[in-house]
Order: sequence, then structure tokens, then C-alpha cells
Amino acid sequence: PRPDAAAFSAEAVAALALLWLLVCAPGDAGCHPLTVADLFDRVIRHSGRIHSLSTALYEKHFPSRDNELGRPARKCHTSGMLTPNGKEYAQKIPREELTQVILKLLQAWKEPLSHFNQHIEHHQELPDDSLSKAKQISNMVHELKTGVEKVTEKMQSMGIISNSLNGMASSEGTGLSISNEANMMSDSDFIHCFRRDSNKVQSYLKILKCRIMPENSC
Amino acid sequence: MDLWHLLFTLALICANDSLSADDDLLQWPQISKCRSPEMETFSCFWTAGNLYNLTVPRILQLLYKKSNEEDWKECPDYVTSGQNSCYFNASYTSVWTPYCVQLASKNEVYDKKCFSVDEIVLPDPPVHLNWTLLNTSQTGIHGDIQVRWDPPPTADVRKGWITLEYELQYKEVNETKWKELKPRLSTMVPLYSLKTARDYEIRIRSRQRTSEKFGEFSEILYVSFSQIGIGCDHCTEEVEFPWFLVLVFGVCGLAVTVISVMLSKQPRLKMLIFPPVPVPKIKGIDPDLLKKGKLDEVNSILACHDNYKTQLYSDDLWVEFIELDIEDPDDIPETDFSASDTCDATSDSDQFKKAAEKEEDLLCLDRQDNDESLPSLANTDLQRQHRNTQSENSHPWAPFGNSVESPHLSVHTQVSNQNSLASTDFYAQVSDITPAGRVVLSPGQKSKLGRAQREGCTEQNFTMDNTYFCEADVKKCIAVTSHEENEPHVQEQGYNEDAYFTTESLTTTVANLGASTAAPPSSEMPVADYTSIHIVQSPQGLVLNATALPVPDKEFNVSCGYVSTDQLNKIMP
Repeated sequence: PRPDAAAFSAEAVAALALLWLLVCAPGDAGCHPLTVADLFDRVIRHSGRIHSLSTALYEKHFPSRDNELGRPARKCHTSGMLTPNGKEYAQKIPREELTQVILKLLQAWKEPLSHFNQHIEHHQELPDDSLSKAKQISNMVHELKTGVEKVTEKMQSMGIISNSLNGMASSEGTGLSISNEANMMSDSDFIHCFRRDSNKVQSYLKILKCRIMPENSC
Repeated sequence: MDLWHLLFTLALICANDSLSADDDLLQWPQISKCRSPEMETFSCFWTAGNLYNLTVPRILQLLYKKSNEEDWKECPDYVTSGQNSCYFNASYTSVWTPYCVQLASKNEVYDKKCFSVDEIVLPDPPVHLNWTLLNTSQTGIHGDIQVRWDPPPTADVRKGWITLEYELQYKEVNETKWKELKPRLSTMVPLYSLKTARDYEIRIRSRQRTSEKFGEFSEILYVSFSQIGIGCDHCTEEVEFPWFLVLVFGVCGLAVTVISVMLSKQPRLKMLIFPPVPVPKIKGIDPDLLKKGKLDEVNSILACHDNYKTQLYSDDLWVEFIELDIEDPDDIPETDFSASDTCDATSDSDQFKKAAEKEEDLLCLDRQDNDESLPSLANTDLQRQHRNTQSENSHPWAPFGNSVESPHLSVHTQVSNQNSLASTDFYAQVSDITPAGRVVLSPGQKSKLGRAQREGCTEQNFTMDNTYFCEADVKKCIAVTSHEENEPHVQEQGYNEDAYFTTESLTTTVANLGASTAAPPSSEMPVADYTSIHIVQSPQGLVLNATALPVPDKEFNVSCGYVSTDQLNKIMP
């Protein structure tokens, strides 16, 4: 049985709240500054919840017939993005690039998710619990993006990665065209694409964390 | 018959066809499944079908194509995963890329499947299962163990590329059904309360955290406590919960309780179990008292209230004396003998009206003062109650005398004479003065009027010079013997009225007298038990009235005790 999505979101909110609040000065008594590893653990957990939520949503309303015959390959609006499609690639590319890929993915889904929320609200194609799940997803994605940005800042401040993340501006521009493309997808494709990309984000974060820690031989 | 023939032929044909079809059932080659154990490689498996008996042996190929490619490529590795399989290693695997594979021979495509690698992840089973003993119970019957295992070696859990969940199942060796634990992320699980006398089997399987499908089960782990020397073969079987005893005792207890409750008619127990709900009690007189005629209780209740000033003395009500002094005869008001007088004793106007009545009585009383027989005052409405009283002359009129602020008036009644004549019935004791100015008399004794009275009545001549006559003479003749029968009735009547024993106008003493004179002593003649003060006016004195009594002769319209001459004529013989 899958964990409750509501519990997920509540936990996520609490976790991310702690993320921002407990970054305290080293001199304070009883204040334990969060390490990068702790921050990574939290964003990884958050991304895992997003993936579980989207999987539950997809499998409930668009139950995947196992290995469907002749199903046309879904075209996601993020298909054009260059992302590492294997563990080895994820291990090979520079950490900055990996971080940027994560951020780009999250950015690419920000607009389409809000449009999707409006769309399903008006059309009422999904039942209420699925509706709430979809809304939760868009909130959590926003939180996750904020969290990854914070982690990135921390890494940059610690010198783990360089400050060469300047590609966000361009990703903003391409995000608009991508969003237009996303609006034309069907609901089933939309959720399927998102589920896949959430899995990507989760896996990239895990590899990134492994690569940050020097003791792990990632 | 033709029909039957036809049917039989058809059946045969069908049977033949089916039989032949079984042999020639064509099983097409099918892709059975595609699976990735660690999200880095994947394999596809198919079944060859039964095309072997056809003319041209077919060679199956597995072609694959990524979504962004146009050409179908052949499987890179037919060997690694076994027969009828195709293995795609890491270099050929793009995890989040949609793939399509198809099973084909040269000309035909038998099957086709499309998927992406992250959707077909089915991990390998965990390895290196082992268990350790945590502790045993004091009796040694039960024990706790900890089971540990390692994740499948192919899955790169350490780097976090894949996150696995594990589900453990266990059962006793001779059982058939496996007990399942909830899937968990950790690679160790405690099992509690296993029976040391039994052997257990444990197996574990894993799945990717966000998917639903589990991989294959691991090898079975055997748990045997005897191997480590703590088996308890001779231990007694654990005592199961004695359901039967509990049920029996519960039913017995319940039955005993129910029977005791039902059988216990004792109000005490009933009160204990079902305490009565207090109903609001309104202070007042219980109507039952009135019904039963318990005047004393009623009066005592009423006496508690300030409003009620009746005090009935249960003792003798002997009138000691009444003093009436008329100092100024001129002040005596006119009398009013209208029969239509409303005997509303509660109105003061009537009192004034009736002042004249007093006058006459006073006159009578004065006249009789010497006579010493003052039945007028006392007799008429006395003796309601059935009491055996003595001639208690000593019962003072004192309360009355003191309360009435009419010192000038005093009516002397000589009780002693009355005693001789009749009993104390003729007297009433003033028990209280009402605020309205009425005197309330309490009932007197039952009269024990002797015959002498009656005798006296017959001889007397009533002065009937006018409509007014002197009651004193009349009252003398009241026979009291018949009180007993009438008293309860009368008494009841009286008590059914207000608590106030209001003064009334002079009533049917005459009638009673008349009746008494005519009737023999044994006749029942209602006699007024009460003499109530009708009007109390300071200069005027008292007017004592008899209460209403049942008149033996219906013809009498007793209006306030005044009897017209005509009526009186009827009475008198």
C-alpha cells in the first residue's frame, strides 16, 4: 500500500520548512547546522514523494496495460532536453551540469502544472481525490525547486561546485515554448510524462548526493 | 428422425473439428516479458510457439527501436539471458527512453511491445538471508529472532540509483499459508513470538520503491530453534484463552443478575438498582388527604402557611362564653331580610348588610342572657365532627374574645346550661379571625343533646310576630342525636370548601329545628355543626351562623339562614 499522499505533503512541507529555518549560525547553543548531506536527504525524500504521488495518480486513472501493443510513444515536452539517460552518464557529467539539469527539469514543469490544475478544475474529468493530488503535485514541485536552489547555493558557498550556473536565463526562455507544447498534451500523456521526469529528478539527485560525498565511490 | 440425424451429424463434425484443432493449435511466438533488474540493463523474453512443424523453419528475431529512431535494430545479445531472450546491456539501455521491441521472422511480425526501462524494473531477490536469536520468553516456549539479508547484488542501492523495498513472508514448516509483513526499506526485520518448538520458513522478495510489482522470492531460510539448543520439545502447549470457561461463567453471571433483579421485589433493592427519579414536589395539600377526609392533616399543612390562619383544635371545642355588649341600641342597623341576599360571606358589603341580623340575634341573645340557654350561638353549626368530647366548658373563647376588637360586645353564653341541655355541639370555638374580619370557628363537639332538648322544643312557641324570629328559641330544639350519620357527610361538605370556614348568614337552624321537633329522636336530622360568625362588627357584635345543612324538606329555600314566615309555617306543625 502506498503511503498517504496527504502525509507526504505535510511531511514535505515540514521538512522544507525546517530546511529554511534551521540554517543557523554555528555559535548558537543547541543549534545544529544542517549539512549538505542532510539537505540532500530532504530534497531526495521530497522528490520521492512527488514520484509516488504521480505514479499513484497515473495508475489510478490511466492504468497501464502491461506492455501495450503498438502504443505510440508518448511525446513529452521535455523530450528535447538533453538529460543523462543512464547511471554512467549521470556519473560522468560534471556536477554543475547535473545540478543544472535538475533545475531545468523542475523549471520546465512549473508552468504546465499550473495550467494543468486549471484545466482539470474546469473540466472536472478527475474525481476529487485525484484533483487534490494533482494540486499537491504542483505545490510540491515548486517547493522542490526552491529546495534544490537552496542546496545549490549551499554547495556553491561551500565550494563543492563552481558558480557557473548561468544557464537559467536561457532555460527560462525555452520554458515558455515548452509550456505551450505541454498544454496540448492529453491528460494521460501529461501525467505519464511528469511521472517519468519526476523519476529522473529523483535519480539525479541521488547520484548528485553520492558524488558530493567524497567517501562514496560514485 | 431426420432432425435427430442432422443434429448427430453436426455433433460429430464439431467433435472432429475440435479434436483436430487441438493438435493443430497454432501458437504464435509471443514476447512474454521484458524486465530490468536494476534500471541499468534489461532483457526481453519470448516464447517460440509451435511453428516447428511448418515447412520453413522460422528464425525469430527481436528487433528494437528507440522512440527517436527510425530503424529497427536487432538484438545485441541472444545468449546472456538464456534461450529465447535478448539482453540489452548498459550501453544499449537508455532508462527513460521509450523502446519498442518486436518479435519477427523474416517476413512476419509476430509480436510487438513498447515500454520504457524505468517502468519494467523488477529487482532480483535478496541474498544472504540469516537469522539470530534476540531473546526467549521465561517459559522458553516463545522466542524472538532477527532476520537479516543483503540486497540483490545487481541493484546499485548503495549509490542510491535504485531504492528497494522488501517484503518478508514466514510460516511454520507444516503450514500452508504464508504470513506477510509490510514492505519496508530496511534489510533487517525482527520476528517476535515464534514458537521454539516449531520450525519456520522465511522468504523475502523485493521491488522498486515506487512500483507495485515484486521481483522473485529469495531462497527459503529455515529457522529451527533446536539447532541452537533452545528447543523446548517437552514444553506444554500454550494455554489458549479459555473461551469456553469465559462464556459459561459469563452466561451464569448474567443469568444470576437478571434473575435477582427480576425476583427482587424488595423496594429497597429496587431503589438501589433503579433509584427513583425525584419528581418536582409542589408544596401544597395532597388531594388524597382531602379525599380521605383527613381534615387534621390538611389543617396542619395549612397552618404552616402564613396565609392560612386556620387552626383547628382537635380537642373539644367548647365555647366558654361569648360576650356581647350592646351599648348603643340605636346604632343597630336595619335588618335586611331579603331572600336574595347573596350569601357571599367574603364580601364586606354583605357583612354590613347582615349587620341587622346580628342585631336581632343580639337582641335574642340579650333576651336569653338570663335564660342561660344559648343554643343560638352554639348549637346551630356545631358538631360537625364526630368526636366524643366532654363538656369542656373551659374551652375558652379567649382567642376569639381577644381578637375581636369589640370590647363592647360580649355575648354571654352560659355553657354550663348548654351542657345540661345538649352536649357541646351547640358551641363552637373561635379558632381564628381572618384578615377580612371574619371569625372562623372550629367545629365543636358532637352534641350529645339529650332528649330534653327535644322535649323542650315541642313545647316552645316560636315568636313569629314578623318575618324575623328569634333563632335562639328555635335552636334550642335542635336535636343532636342524629349527628352521627350526618356528620361525616356534613363534615365532608364543609371541608370540601375553602379552608376558610367563612361566616355565613344564619342558616337553617330553624329548619333543622323544625325538622327535629317533628322527627323522633332516632330520626336523622342534620344539625349544623358549626356556628360561624357571620358578621363581626365592633359595635354590633357577633352574628353566629349555622352552616348550610341538608334540609330534609326540599321546599325550604334556605337563603342565608333566613326563613320566611311562610316557610316556617311549613315547618312548624
